[in-house]
Amino acid sequence: MRWKSLLLLMLLAGCSKGPEADLQAIKQARSLAAEWALVNEQASQGKLTPTYVQSMREWLHYQLHTSSTSLTQPDSPYGEEIHALLTQPQDARAEELRARAQKLKQIEDSLESA
Amino acid sequence: MNPLELTLGIMTAVGGFVDISELVFAAKAGSQFGYALVWVFAFSTFGIIVFSEMSGRVAAVAKQPVFNLMRHRLGLKLGLVALAASIISNLITCAAEIGGVALVLNYLTGAPYPLMAIVITLLLISSIWVLSFKWIERVYGLLGLFMIVFAVALVALRPPWGAIARGFVPQVPHGLSTKELLTFAYFVVAIISAVMFPYEVYFYSSGGIEEGWGPKDLITNRVTAILGMGLGSLLGIAILSNSAQLFGPTHVDPVIPGSVALEAAIPFGKWGLIIALLGMFFAVAGAAVETCLANAYSIAQFFGWIWGRQKQPWEAPRFTITWIVLFALALAIVLTGVDVMTLVEFAILFSILVLPLTYLPLLMLSGDRKYMGQYVNGPIGKTLGWIYFAVITLAAIAALPLYFLTSGGNG
Repeated sequence: MRWKSLLLLMLLAGCSKGPEADLQAIKQARSLAAEWALVNEQASQGKLTPTYVQSMREWLHYQLHTSSTSLTQPDSPYGEEIHALLTQPQDARAEELRARAQKLKQIEDSLESA
Repeated sequence: MNPLELTLGIMTAVGGFVDISELVFAAKAGSQFGYALVWVFAFSTFGIIVFSEMSGRVAAVAKQPVFNLMRHRLGLKLGLVALAASIISNLITCAAEIGGVALVLNYLTGAPYPLMAIVITLLLISSIWVLSFKWIERVYGLLGLFMIVFAVALVALRPPWGAIARGFVPQVPHGLSTKELLTFAYFVVAIISAVMFPYEVYFYSSGGIEEGWGPKDLITNRVTAILGMGLGSLLGIAILSNSAQLFGPTHVDPVIPGSVALEAAIPFGKWGLIIALLGMFFAVAGAAVETCLANAYSIAQFFGWIWGRQKQPWEAPRFTITWIVLFALALAIVLTGVDVMTLVEFAILFSILVLPLTYLPLLMLSGDRKYMGQYVNGPIGKTLGWIYFAVITLAAIAALPLYFLTSGGNG
């Protein structure tokens, strides 16, 4: 019986739509925004090589794009937040990126506590 | 004892502990749970020391590598199942390592990732072809020591040493939700798997036979296992602790492997970054060599072919073709465009499933007086071996449900 419940839980997790299903993408986007902020902050202090900075920004942007396309509700507030991140210039200010990461964190926390 | 004799252990540990899976999981563990998972590293390190010492002792006394034992102890059918599972696990791990090295080269040079994957695969094949086993160990093992920059960074960051010390006490953090508890459990299983990767034991025991170990080398075996794996563990804990301090408070759960290099860049600037990337390059490249050779060793030993890098490539033709084909297959997986992080998750998952099958025959043979004579497992070794076997069997049973319930530890 327990195994059936577990299986059902897994199937529901795999088939669900909406904010719950998007939670993983939201978490990933929040982390990517925070990583991007850290890279830009360190780059502005001259602690990173230009090649590393360029490569990291490209990978971060690519992963953000992947997170964005996996959303089941792209028009939601979190979808718009992720979209806004994608329109940021590569050398966006760390504070701006951190503020967006913080907004995504708040959405993530509210979804997790719901 | 010549200090250079330790390079087998250093390479096994640096390539095994600080491979791409370790980099990712140690950093994620630190950012999500602070220092609460340090004890899992310590516990698993003790386990890999126990089994490495055992496999080295069996190699030195009974002259039997792990996969030879598997076939004789598990029988042909179960042995074939273990071989198939191990090939898949090692192949995925090797692909993850090649992807990881290509990423590091991309961070260092800016050259395209797929091109770097092709270049690094050709370089790895050439290095195994040209270098003797001793020099393979020395190049990847010793240059992987650039990773020590992460331990130095930990000291420079002035962490809360008391909190790190408390992390060595087995614990589950208070106040976690059910979902977070499941994620914590998944990380426990994943770290056990990453630290006790089966390929480390295949590589280590085959390496002992390549080096012609005998009973006189048992002290070297013990020291190598303890120091090599201990060093690997230290680096893993340093990466976790740096992450707890730098990434956790800023809500970074490193999604990109390159973020780990920031741990050295933040305290030391550009040189810290470059040394960290070089360390990651050699450690992960060493892991790629280990996984590929471990796979070729397994296949050759199982089917009774002539094997070994001490021989010229043409003196062991089936073994040589096998490791080259395995590198090509791993590269093909990378070139499909599958994400390195996905490969890492699958590598961890498959490895934990193979672990009990790897360690059971080893435990049985090292405890068999007929083969081992006076070097048979003592009461402490036997007890520790069976305790760890029980733990990894439980972890193997829990791995799949936890993976699905936590979306691979992503909550």
